[in-house]
Amino acid sequence: MHMADALLSPAVGGIMLAASAGAIAYSAYKCKDDLDEKKIPLMGVMGAVIFAGQMINFTIPGTGSSGHIGGGILLAALLGPFPAFLVISTVLLIQALFFADGGLLALGANIWNMGFYACLLVYPLIFKPIVKKGFTPRRIAVAAILSVTIALLGGAFSVVIETLASGITELPFTAFLGLMMPIHLAIGIVEGIVTAGVLVFVYKMRPEILESSLINKKISSGLSLKKVSVTLLIFAALLGGGFSLFASSNPDGLEWAMNGVAGTTQIIATGGVHENAADVQKTTAVLPGYGFKSTDGQGSAAGKSVAGLLGGGLTLLLAGGTGYIIYAVKRKKEKSA
Amino acid sequence: MSALTDSMNTIHSLEEMAEAKTIIHRLHPMVKLVTTFLYIILVVSFDPYNVTGLVVFLFYPVILMALAEIPYKPLLKRLLVALPFSFFAGISNIYFNQNAAFMVGNTPITYGVISFFSIMIKTVFTVMGVLILIATTPLPQISYQLLVIKVPKIIVEQIMLTYRYISVLLEQVSNMYTAYILRAPDAKGIKMKDMGIFVGQLLLKSFDRAENIYFAMKCRGYDGHYLYAKPDPMKKSDWIFMLSTCGMLILLRFFNLSQFIGSFLQ
Repeated sequence: MHMADALLSPAVGGIMLAASAGAIAYSAYKCKDDLDEKKIPLMGVMGAVIFAGQMINFTIPGTGSSGHIGGGILLAALLGPFPAFLVISTVLLIQALFFADGGLLALGANIWNMGFYACLLVYPLIFKPIVKKGFTPRRIAVAAILSVTIALLGGAFSVVIETLASGITELPFTAFLGLMMPIHLAIGIVEGIVTAGVLVFVYKMRPEILESSLINKKISSGLSLKKVSVTLLIFAALLGGGFSLFASSNPDGLEWAMNGVAGTTQIIATGGVHENAADVQKTTAVLPGYGFKSTDGQGSAAGKSVAGLLGGGLTLLLAGGTGYIIYAVKRKKEKSA
Repeated sequence: MSALTDSMNTIHSLEEMAEAKTIIHRLHPMVKLVTTFLYIILVVSFDPYNVTGLVVFLFYPVILMALAEIPYKPLLKRLLVALPFSFFAGISNIYFNQNAAFMVGNTPITYGVISFFSIMIKTVFTVMGVLILIATTPLPQISYQLLVIKVPKIIVEQIMLTYRYISVLLEQVSNMYTAYILRAPDAKGIKMKDMGIFVGQLLLKSFDRAENIYFAMKCRGYDGHYLYAKPDPMKKSDWIFMLSTCGMLILLRFFNLSQFIGSFLQ
């Protein structure tokens, strides 16, 4: 289910990268709070285990085909949701770099599809409530099969949305969905059964592993700066990237007013300085008119979204830079006072 | 198990390739990261029916592979693994869009066929871009650059640790698998009912291994910080390379070189 770069548009890839980056930043923040330093080498080893474990093909009885484990729910049950999400992201990055298993632009989408749903959504919302009353083999099995299946279906659904939003494939929505969902339902059930088997074994041999990852330290209340900035980043990416596609072509207020007054929406300025400036702008504008310069004169939706994303990013940088300058100047004043 | 040994060999051979000393290898890793990423974005930004502009982007991987002396056969093998999914996505395009775009002799070429080729070519280019990156830049160097762009330290530590222990775990899994197969000669893989115990044993051994690693780290002064080296600063030659390559790539994206060359043939 690893998506390749070629199946995404830059806008969708960028949005998913931003979303996954936000989730990673949030998980890293949560890990700092209640992680002891012993877990760091454990997470590293678990990453290597999942990497190696995905190479083990097991035979599915009755079908003659083989499968392999994914690992999101398995990791979440063993390490807790936030460390597990970081581990899965690491494994996906290494797979993308060394094995071209999923592209770099698509890395955000892959981390979201295969890590976010399993570790940060399904585990706390489905797995934990089922086993909270106490671990028994039956509860673990039910929780595992249900969680893995739902997480996989969520990931498959996202693949469909991301591919269609990128406009690369001509497959209609219903056909694509009808292809992906049943296959991943079957894969999910099989992988869920294997995950259940593994977790039951681990529980029987060393119950403290599963129980300790259920316990969470109390999270400090109050909004954190990181949470706010991460949320803002995601919204900026969504707005700039996604919604710019729906940008209206009607004139905005200023252009409408100008039209009424001067009969045109653009004032033509003449004179040396204006013309030089216009020339400079024409050559340096990477995304004139919010679209990629294309040889047939039509703007592209991808260009608009990239413009939106880049514009959003630049704005963030400028805003952050301005804030930092103000802060630095103030610090200097305080020091000299 | 062949997949396990294949993976070990792939990682080792890419590691070896990345240790070479050509001009591309000596570039600052941030330069290679930025140009690879820009290349991927530009390739992917072509609309599905613009294949003539797209093929110009073959220059980048070909020139880099030549300059970096990367052997093309292992790269092509990796490429073949990545193609099938794109192939099926493209085939569906041929089926669903049968409007003819133009004629070649007596055969109509449909929009679906054009977008099929677009997808395949994009896949080839993007995969080659990433493989060239990893064949010229060792993963630890890439990881330190991630720190520079403010990726949380904990995940960069995870990348380094996971990378460090992949070969160890691959060997362990290989041993376990061989032991299993020797006791089940007709089996073509692990039986599903045995997977619970197989992976479970692997996990338990790994928990113990991780604990030993932790004690070993503590004995050598581990205090929660794993990363210490500082990456080299970028030299002027690095900036020149990055800006000129990125500039050329952006130029190629918006100036259709194929049409320009083709106009000379008319």
